Amino acid sequence: MTTEIQLRNLQKWFGSNQVIKDFDLTIAAHEFIVMLGQSGCGKTTTLRAIAGLESIDEGDILIEGEPVQHLKCSDRDIAMVFQSFSLYPHMTVYENIAFPLRATRMAKTELDAAVREIARVLQISDLLDKKPSALSGGDMQRVAIGRALVRQPKAMLMDEPIGALDAKLREQMRAEIKRLHIKQGSTTVYVTHDQVEAMSLADRIVIMHDGKLQQVGPPEEVYLHPANLFVAQFVGSPVMNIADIDIGSAGGGAEIRLAGSDKGFAFGEGALSGISRDAPVALGIRPEAVLLSQSNAKGHLPAVTTNIEPLGSHDIVDVKIGDQTLRARTESGFVGGEGQEVWVNLDPEQAHFFDRESGLSLRKAG
Amino acid sequence: MAAVQTTSERALNKVAIISVLIVTIIFLAPIYWIVSTSFKPRHLATTVPPTIVFEPEISPFVKLTLRRSQLREQPTPEEYTAAPWWERLVFDGGEKIVRSGRGEVQLSGYPSRFVNSLIIAITSTILAVAMGTITAYGFSRFKMPGEQDWLFFILSTRMLPPVVVAIPMFLMYRVVGLNDTHVGLIILYTAFNLSFSVWLMKGFIDEIPKEYEEAALVDGYTRMEAFFKVVLPEAATGIAATAVFCFITAWNEYAFALIMTRRDAQTAPPFIPSQVGSGLPDWTVIAAGTFLFLLPVAIFTFLLRNHLLRGMSFGAIRK
Repeated sequence: MTTEIQLRNLQKWFGSNQVIKDFDLTIAAHEFIVMLGQSGCGKTTTLRAIAGLESIDEGDILIEGEPVQHLKCSDRDIAMVFQSFSLYPHMTVYENIAFPLRATRMAKTELDAAVREIARVLQISDLLDKKPSALSGGDMQRVAIGRALVRQPKAMLMDEPIGALDAKLREQMRAEIKRLHIKQGSTTVYVTHDQVEAMSLADRIVIMHDGKLQQVGPPEEVYLHPANLFVAQFVGSPVMNIADIDIGSAGGGAEIRLAGSDKGFAFGEGALSGISRDAPVALGIRPEAVLLSQSNAKGHLPAVTTNIEPLGSHDIVDVKIGDQTLRARTESGFVGGEGQEVWVNLDPEQAHFFDRESGLSLRKAG
Repeated sequence: MAAVQTTSERALNKVAIISVLIVTIIFLAPIYWIVSTSFKPRHLATTVPPTIVFEPEISPFVKLTLRRSQLREQPTPEEYTAAPWWERLVFDGGEKIVRSGRGEVQLSGYPSRFVNSLIIAITSTILAVAMGTITAYGFSRFKMPGEQDWLFFILSTRMLPPVVVAIPMFLMYRVVGLNDTHVGLIILYTAFNLSFSVWLMKGFIDEIPKEYEEAALVDGYTRMEAFFKVVLPEAATGIAATAVFCFITAWNEYAFALIMTRRDAQTAPPFIPSQVGSGLPDWTVIAAGTFLFLLPVAIFTFLLRNHLLRGMSFGAIRK
């Protein structure tokens, strides 16, 4: 399975509503691509267009270099796992897995061997005689994945395959999907709105918003160098702090003043190179780069804690500086309670600057 | 549920059970009357008060199925002993069986009417359900201009009382030569049931998630194959329910059958009451005809009861 998938300039309208806009993407063979975005952003439609379940209005979909946008989905040799699992309720697990093979009129012994092999890999051999309604959610999803893999398709498409499971099972299945992908190496396109899933599974993440591709890149790149405000706020939990700022100069460097605050944080001049000081600029800073201190150290500004979320391994602390609130990540128990005075500094290395109007990142990646 | 019941709850429960029993008895009484009358000797059929306990006999069924006429003179003892047991039953009732020149027993009008009913009801049910299912699938899965208007139009064919169209239909059928033919009634009943079948099946097919077919499509099947291998098995419950309703409607239909048929294609519903008017009615024979007429619907419904009661087999899909 060394299938490359290319999407070239896809356009898709539902009535007057354009759901896919100028979509370009090349998915390399063996790659695990995760399409991430809010519901209604066009990610599922794009996936269904690759499968052939949706038509596209313009553009090309190439599988192994061949345009397939005019082919029926049965002729594209692609497998899909649905969020709803979609196991055929009137068939046993065995028949469900054998179903795609029956379409190819495969010989009986060969078919039986293929079904049993995939059941062994997915550890569902003892479930083969059961009906889907007798299975747990995780087992249903294993069967659905088995049904997709058994045919050894050119590519695997997964539409929020574990979205319907409970949190614990989701984590388990996530690991299993990763293990399976490493083992089988099939080109996979995976759709989710859960950024943790995206970060943990993807070779590259494709972030979509309003039918438009926002950023494509490996998880760490997307996390460390978000291309725009949307990506910055969509990836990472808790959400990146975004604050309106004024940039002044102090000493040899720049001073970042949060709107409504008269004092600023001193950033070295290098941190702001290439950034226009005239246009409205927004500062993006992740909670782990908001550094709290119990005492007034150099460069720190005073702030008041307004809310604390103890999460066990760490706390999320809201602090108010001027009239802006920043969320900071601290070790657990670092701040005693609300209304306490603390000292805040920002890590210039992890600061992002965005054009307030276009939303684009003002800093070059890398 | 809590295991403890208060005294008043228990009393209420008893009242409910007794009420249900009484209602059931009231509903079943006419059926019991028909069934019991069809096993009664003729002189017990019209007694007042009705005879509850009697020795059942099957002479009404023999008389129902065979052609017979009044005895002018009593059969000789030789004739009587030579006759088979079922012919003796007819002799006992003061009648004899009509035989052809070659001595063959002839059937009465009832068996052929019964067979007509079966042919017409079964064929029209199959047609109405098959066409209804395909049409409903189309409406359920594909967008088409004026979908709601079409659905309303289909339903509107059901709003006209059948009697209103009976006379024009009769005249049209006369022109094309469909009066008193099986095909004529089959077309009529199919058309009559189709709107109902489309609407009922659309409800059932709407309930089947379209992901099933999409899964089959990406699994390498054509839409047609997906329809037959995935949608139809899932719709079995709906098909069974629709078939039962269509069959009952076609089986019981009276008005069209009365106007459109006379002999060749006449069904049982217009035939049974026609026997009431011919001479002194033998109520046991009419009851026997009615009882036999009840059976197919009862059997059909009984055979499909699992499908009717099972409900949709969800559980394999997460919503």
